[in-house]
Amino acid sequence: MTEVDVTARFAAGDQVRTTRFDPPHHCRLPRYARGAVGIIVEPQGSHPLPDDRARGLPAVPEPVYTVRFHARELFGGGDHSVTVDIWESHLAAEAT
Amino acid sequence: MSGDHHGEAAAISAHVRHVETLLEQRGLVDPQELDRALTAFLAGSSPASGARVVARAWSDEGFRTRLLGDANTALPELGLSMGGGLQEQRLKVVENTDSAHNVVVCTLCSCYPIALLGPSPTWYKSEAYRSRVVRDPRGVLREFGFELAPDLDITVWDASAESRYMVLPRRPGGTEGLDEKQLAALVTRNGLLGVAAV
Amino acid sequence: MSRINDVGGMQGFAPVEQELDEPPFHADWEAHVFAMNRALIGQGVYNLDEFRDAIERMPPEEYLASSYYEKWFHAVTTLLVEKGVFTAAEVQHD
Repeated sequence: MTEVDVTARFAAGDQVRTTRFDPPHHCRLPRYARGAVGIIVEPQGSHPLPDDRARGLPAVPEPVYTVRFHARELFGGGDHSVTVDIWESHLAAEAT
Repeated sequence: MSGDHHGEAAAISAHVRHVETLLEQRGLVDPQELDRALTAFLAGSSPASGARVVARAWSDEGFRTRLLGDANTALPELGLSMGGGLQEQRLKVVENTDSAHNVVVCTLCSCYPIALLGPSPTWYKSEAYRSRVVRDPRGVLREFGFELAPDLDITVWDASAESRYMVLPRRPGGTEGLDEKQLAALVTRNGLLGVAAV
Repeated sequence: MSRINDVGGMQGFAPVEQELDEPPFHADWEAHVFAMNRALIGQGVYNLDEFRDAIERMPPEEYLASSYYEKWFHAVTTLLVEKGVFTAAEVQHD
């Protein structure tokens, strides 16, 4: 685990929206969770962004969060929820 | 198996040997060191380790609390860790209860608590499981012969970053008299991933 | 949209099939690919993200037709060539 002191923008319970994009490179935000609104479950430390590391670019550690989405938000149906672990670069605050 | 299948297996086996020999000549791998690392890894990582963790959590309320709070600091109490020869990974243990059920997946590749459970089963890495469990966990679990109660809150944990997930299953009824070793024997790999009850 | 590895939520795949009493590896070469990849990442020949990226860049039809450790071996050889450790001709084997 990389323990780096990076200030996290989000806290448990915050509502966030993931980036809606389709970059032409490695990315750990699954497409089913792009452009979706979810709730931060917890921060899980800071890690370099894989999008950059996979391309040999310098990558500074940034906060990663567990984010919970309702299945309805992701698939338009379902009574379960899915959590996805997401780097801060791929999250924006979403007003409640 | 067909002759073709054997032919393909022999071909890839020879190709792997070829590349390993090249790496050895270049001084990038030492075959004896590879064998030693592999043997050590397989000896230290199997679902039996995960089962020991669960049995302790069922038997020791303090350990259960520590495990759910910060699994990485709790594992050393059993002589275990999430290192496994590479950089230590964060482990998050998620607990099944009367009202909540958890299932683990990695939709993008095959992230798995390998340091604790050993190599993952083929179904876990299959496109069938990875594509469908996030969308229809009840339907997929039914294919494992596991019918979830309709009122359970289901969470599917997609390990898409640096955390690895393991399920703490519900303790079966009628096991009050069992010691940790007997309890551990009840725990299956599928139970640790949330696709089976224990 | 996106790459072939990114299958979460995709429809149409078959029911999940389990193999009873599955061993950690199905053939010796799989264990060797596993160990080789660990050693190469450990030595910094490439990193884990580059390794995943090399799997994801596989042509979709090849990705879907390959077994798990075939994908790994594809990525290992791809990266060894791209990193200049070997030439493409060297990693070939007939």
